[in-house]
Order: sequence, then structure tokens, then C-alpha cells
Amino acid sequence: MLARIVTIAAILVVLVAVPPLLDIGWQNAMTNMLIASLFAVAFNLLIGQAGLLSFGHAAFFGVGAFATLHLMVVIEDGGLAFPTPLLPLAGAAGGFVIGAFAGYFATMRSGVYFALVTLAIAELFHSLAPHWDGLFGGEAGLSSMRMPWGGLIYGSPLEVYYLALGWTVLSVFLLWAYTRTPFGRLTLALRDNEQRVRFMGYNAHSTKVIIFAVSAMFSGVAGALLAISNETANYTLFSTHVSAQVVLHTFVGGSTVFFGPVIGASVFTLFAFFVSDVTRSWLLYQGLIFVLVMLYAPHGIGGLVDAHRRHWSQLRWSELAPAYGLAALSGLALSGATIFLVETFEVLFSPEYAAARRRADGAWPPFELFGLDWQAFGILTWAVPVLLAAAGLLLLPHARRALRQAWDGVLERTEADRAGSVSPELAGAAER
Amino acid sequence: MTVRKLGLALGLAAAAGLGAGAAQAEPLKIGIIESLSGSQTSTGRLFATAAEYVVDQINADGGFNGEPIEVIEYDNAGGTTGAADKFKQAVADGVHIVLQGASSAIAGQVTEDVRKHNIRNPGNELMYINLGAEALALTGEKCHFYQFRFTTTAPMRVNAMVDAMKEAGDLGTKVYSINQNYSWGRDMEDAIKAAADRGDYEVVDTVLHEVNKIQDFSPFVAKIKDAGPDTVMTGNWSNDLLLLMKAAGDAGLDVRFGTTFLDQVGNIANAGDTALGHYVAHPYNIAADDSDFAENYKAATGHYPVYIEPQTVNAIRTLGEALKTVDFGGGDVSVTEIAKAMENASIETPLGPITVRKDDHQAVLPVVVSKVVKDPKYPVDGTDLGFGVVKVVPGEDAIYEAQESCEMDRPS
Repeated sequence: MLARIVTIAAILVVLVAVPPLLDIGWQNAMTNMLIASLFAVAFNLLIGQAGLLSFGHAAFFGVGAFATLHLMVVIEDGGLAFPTPLLPLAGAAGGFVIGAFAGYFATMRSGVYFALVTLAIAELFHSLAPHWDGLFGGEAGLSSMRMPWGGLIYGSPLEVYYLALGWTVLSVFLLWAYTRTPFGRLTLALRDNEQRVRFMGYNAHSTKVIIFAVSAMFSGVAGALLAISNETANYTLFSTHVSAQVVLHTFVGGSTVFFGPVIGASVFTLFAFFVSDVTRSWLLYQGLIFVLVMLYAPHGIGGLVDAHRRHWSQLRWSELAPAYGLAALSGLALSGATIFLVETFEVLFSPEYAAARRRADGAWPPFELFGLDWQAFGILTWAVPVLLAAAGLLLLPHARRALRQAWDGVLERTEADRAGSVSPELAGAAER
Repeated sequence: MTVRKLGLALGLAAAAGLGAGAAQAEPLKIGIIESLSGSQTSTGRLFATAAEYVVDQINADGGFNGEPIEVIEYDNAGGTTGAADKFKQAVADGVHIVLQGASSAIAGQVTEDVRKHNIRNPGNELMYINLGAEALALTGEKCHFYQFRFTTTAPMRVNAMVDAMKEAGDLGTKVYSINQNYSWGRDMEDAIKAAADRGDYEVVDTVLHEVNKIQDFSPFVAKIKDAGPDTVMTGNWSNDLLLLMKAAGDAGLDVRFGTTFLDQVGNIANAGDTALGHYVAHPYNIAADDSDFAENYKAATGHYPVYIEPQTVNAIRTLGEALKTVDFGGGDVSVTEIAKAMENASIETPLGPITVRKDDHQAVLPVVVSKVVKDPKYPVDGTDLGFGVVKVVPGEDAIYEAQESCEMDRPS
């Protein structure tokens, strides 16, 4: 517990102290990281705690953004003296109201049918918004300007970042506190056995509506922060892409761990920030990362971190370090081969290269990649990825064996420790 | 307080720099915020290619302010959120001029971002050159001093199309308007109605439909058939144009289409002979250009300039002319001075002059009306079809009154 508090405090200190030293682009990326994190944590209340997979959370994210923007427009026109830092309250209110309404229908069903209803609700907004000019501003959307308040101008990305930081920390803390309340416990019970919850005399449906509305409310806060940051909102916020992105963040981060979605959201936001201007194939890499995480670490990055935390006393780094080293080498070689191939094909199939070929009368001119010149049919051009892939594949079985052995040892020691203790409660906790 | 401190620190640093006797020439930085991934990639890429072609020429002539002009590409991933993020990145990178063209929604985001940035950072302004977004609102209620549009708008295209088709005797007296239900489509419908007196026709019916969602246009074609028009005018693009024309062809509908985006890359290959004889009103047609521009462009990029590339080239050439009239003596770049010079800049093209209207910073440019013909001067999409010039309408004949909704604050 103490270790956890220290970790969180250290992260908070970094989040407060570092951004002033960065440039505007970085500050904006950090703001986006916070927004994506809050959205993912709010979304995870449904899938991680209540076991309900929503495919339409963009609806509440978007509603939060539009509600906030309408309020901003009113303030800008001088119709209301509302404190700028409290703007996300509009997003919270909008998300909660629409969430309660949508949740009432969606939670009548569970599983796939629930997911389909949420998908439909988001799509309803997505198709309605471009035609409802008064409320959503047509396809161009609404636009406003942050007004100064309380001595702050709210003009610079840094001020927006601190506003987002405050709201994100507060909201994530509230969502964490929620899990410690009796109602939060009831949420978990719903996931494990809805029948039992009903038998205990609770109304399962209205309980689920409340959970859904709370999740939608905090998604609305995240949408509000985006509206404040970009000072615009348009119908594309309701697109399936936004709904899918939050699912991706949550699962890569790990939905079983409270802070997992934060990890996933941060990793992917920074990934987009770094890679999107470097290569046009960045979405492909993002998809590959998602697939690999789902295949080899189904509980996500957060799940891996959590496993190490739980078995901390049984870890033997003398065994683990070589195994991890091997796995890292193999992974690096395979990633290198993949990236090399993808980038090479991207160049070879690009219109620019086609133009270069036309200029060279159909010959295959050399092309530049990673700062070096390559021949399209050069031995080296194809030897590099093949050798990298071969090295990676050769190391892979060894790495997997070493990993398995190391972790088998950890689990054996855990078993032994557990047999030594007599508390069945602990055993149950370790099971989970 | 902190801002003032920072200013003081910067002042001291500058003074120290001057004291060292090394005044650094500031290079002009141009940021292209375009859709370089996602569904609009092909168009976004063309904007970037054409803009960089001209910048390379300016740099070959010695660049600007004693330095080569720097171009930085940003991928907005085809969305407004991505554009907002990349705009902030461009500010961080010290970009002076932002270029963008594909999508009016993204243009709205970029132009608003530029406007707000300039309000908050007097003395460090940015300028936005709109290369291809045609929504009227951009030079209407969203207009501001630091935005320039170098493409046509719905009234310009429709006015030119009506003039040329009437002259050619292909217009008839009954016109049907079918458009996409969003700002551009509505702009087109208004322009088609407004030009009725000019072209001596009546608008028999108007339709607005969902954007890029309809797979089967036969019900619409049936409605068109009932109305019995001579000409169908449409601002549709991409699938909405192709499927409409194909459905009309399949139903044996005997009308002439007056379009605005028939020259989008791939359209003619897709439509084939169905497209023969139909009209397009566009900002440029290299068939009307007897200079060596098309060949030079092909030598540099590997293909003839198509679709939105010529208008982009003309926009950056105009910027180049404006840059010739300002001189920062190797010191700091003032975007406000460049913007003032842009207002007065003009270029001569083989099709006629291009100037900037001061009221709303809409470029006054010639509009070409072309018709799909067999064996043209420049075949497109690898077919034997292409665009033959019907008429070049001078800018002053195609231009419309500046919108009253444009209230521009000018820097003193």
C-alpha cells in the first residue's frame, strides 16, 4: 500500500513539474494523454468492474464535448459569468443525463446484445449530428474560445494542461473511491453473478443503469476536456473510431487492473504523437501491437505489471533477467524485420517512387530509408529483414522456454508459501 | 508576471545574441497540415506534392530572407481533432504559414485555430492559406485577416458553368439540382437557384441526400426522369458522383450533367464512356495552358498536374510573388507584413490573372469549363478520355459579391 502511494505521488510530481519545460506540442500531447486516460478509466468501470462491454462510448464523450462547448459559447457571448475551470461540469451533467437515458435501454440486455445497443446509440448520434445544425453545428461543428477567469487567461496549452490534470486526477480518484464503496462492491457482484445479486433483493437493472450513467458522466468529463483543449467539437467525435479507440486503450492497458487503462491510453497517445509524422503506416503498427498484446498478454500491460507486483517476494531476477533479455532480443529482431519490410514496401508502392521510376524510364532507382540508400533488388535490401527475422525466430523458442521455466519457478514458490500459510482468504485473493 | 519575466529573459538573450554580433536569419517555415492517412489520403498527398513543387522552385531561386524555405508535413489523419493537435505542433515548430485543402470541416478547424492563436499571441501571428476547401462560410462568418482562399466556391463554379453551357447550347431551360446534404451541397443548391436568371432556366426540382452513404441512386434517377430536366447540376464528389452518373447511364436518362468534381483522379477510369459529353467547372485545365508548365511539372513529379494540383501551384506562386515584395533583411519574419503583401499580390497565368479580393481574401481566379471528350490533349486515368476546354471564364465574370457576414479586423 505504501509503495503504491509513493508511486502515485512520484507520478503526480512528474506530471506537475515537467510540462513547463516542454514545448507546446509536447504539452498538448500530455493533455491528450490525460483525456484518453480519464476516458479509458471511465469506460473501464463498465467492462472491468461490471463486465459490460460498450461499443458506443463515443456517444457520451461527444455529448460531454458538445454540452461544454454550448456553455462556452454562452460565456463568450457574455450571457453568463461562469468560471472557466468548472466548464467540465457541463460535460459531466450532459454525460450523466444521456448516459442514464441510454443506459436504461442498453442494460436491459447483456453481453453481445448490450454491446450492439450501445453501438447503435453512438451511431444514432453520429448520423443525426451533421443534420442538426442548431445543436451540433452541422458537419463543421461548433467553435468557441476559452474566456479568461480568475486572473488566468486560459490561452496557453500549459494552462489547459493543468486544468485537464486537475480534472483527470479528481475524476480518477473519485472512480477509484467508487470501487471501495459498498455500491462498487455490488458492481463487482453483478459481474460475477447477477442471479445472486437479484436474490439478495437488489434491483439489478436499476443498479446497472446507475453504473452506466456514472461511467457516461466521467466519459463526458473527458469529452469536455477535449472540447476545452481544441475549442471546437464536431460530429466526428461520435464516430466508431472514437468508440473503438477507447476499447483498444483499455484492453492493451489491461481491464482487470484499475490503473491499466491509464497505461494503455498513455502508451497509445504517445505512440501516435511520436510515430504519426514519421511513417504513414503508424495505424498498422498500432493494430499489430494490439493483436500481439491480446495474444501474449491477455490481461494487458497493466496485467503484466500487476503479476510482478503480486509475486514480488517470489521473483528471482537471476532467472528472470536472462529470460527477459532473450525475449527482448527476439522481439527486437522480429520488430526490426517487420518495420523494415513495411517501410520498404511503403516506399516501393508509393506514388513518389512510381514517379521516380517513370523519370528513370522504368528502371528501379535506389531509395532512401533510415538514412541509407537501398537498391530495390539489392541483396542487402532483402538480406537485412530476412536475417533479422531468422535471428528473431531462432531465439523465440529459447526465450519462451526460459520465460516459462522462470515463471513456473515463481508460481511453485508461491504455492509453497501459500501451503505454509493457513489463511484461505489469501488463497482466494491470490486466485484472482 | 511570469510572461513579463519570460519576455525580459528573451530580451536579454536577444541582446546577448546581438552583442555577439550574430543576427541569425530566420527561415520561413511552411506547415502542410493535410490528410496523409485515412480515406482522403490521395487528395491530401496531391496538395502536398503541388505545394512542395513550387517551394522547391522558390528555393532554387535563392529562397527567402537569405535562407531556403522549410516545409514540414503534418498528418491530420483526416480529422479535425488530428488537425487541432498538429496545429499546436506546428506552432511549437515555429511554423509561419499553414497550408491545407482537403475537407471544409478541417479547414474550419485550422482557420479558427489560426484566428485564436493570433488573438492570443500578437506579434507572433500565423497565416493560413486555404488551397481547396470551398465552404462559403470560410470567407463568410469565419473570415479573418490571416486567411486566404485560393480555390473557387460554389457560386464561381456554377456561374461559369451556366455561362459556358448556355453559350454551347447545352444548357436547356430546365435544370435539376441534386446535391449532398451538408454545407457544400447546400452552397451548390443556393448557387444553382441564384444563377437561374443568368442562365435563363427554371430549377424544376432540388434534392439533398446523405453524404457517401447511398449505394443505389436509381430512386433519385427515377425522380429526375419524372421532372424531365435538360441539365442536372451537382456538386457531388467521389462515390456520390460516380454512382449517380452510373445509375443515370443504366436508366438511359438523356440529360447533360454539369459537375464540379468530375476531374477527381480515378473518376473517368471508373465512369468510362458514361462520362462522355458531360461538363465540369474547375479552377484549371492544363489543356487550356499552352505554356510548358504541365511538362515541367511532370518532369519534377512524374505525372501531369491534375485535379487540385494546378490551383495549389498558383496559390504558392502568388505567395512567392508576395514574398518578393517584403524584405526582412535577414532578420525576423513578420507574418503580418507577408499577409499585407498577399492582399496586393497577383500572378498572370496562361488562363488569366489571379488576384486577391481584399474584402474577404477570396482569390479572384479564372474558372475553366470543360467537357469529357475522346482523344484529348491530355488523356486521364490511363483511358482515351480527358477534358476538352469549352470556355475559360475570366475571374471577374465568375466572382460573386463578398458576403456581408465577413467582418474583417485589419491590423493597423
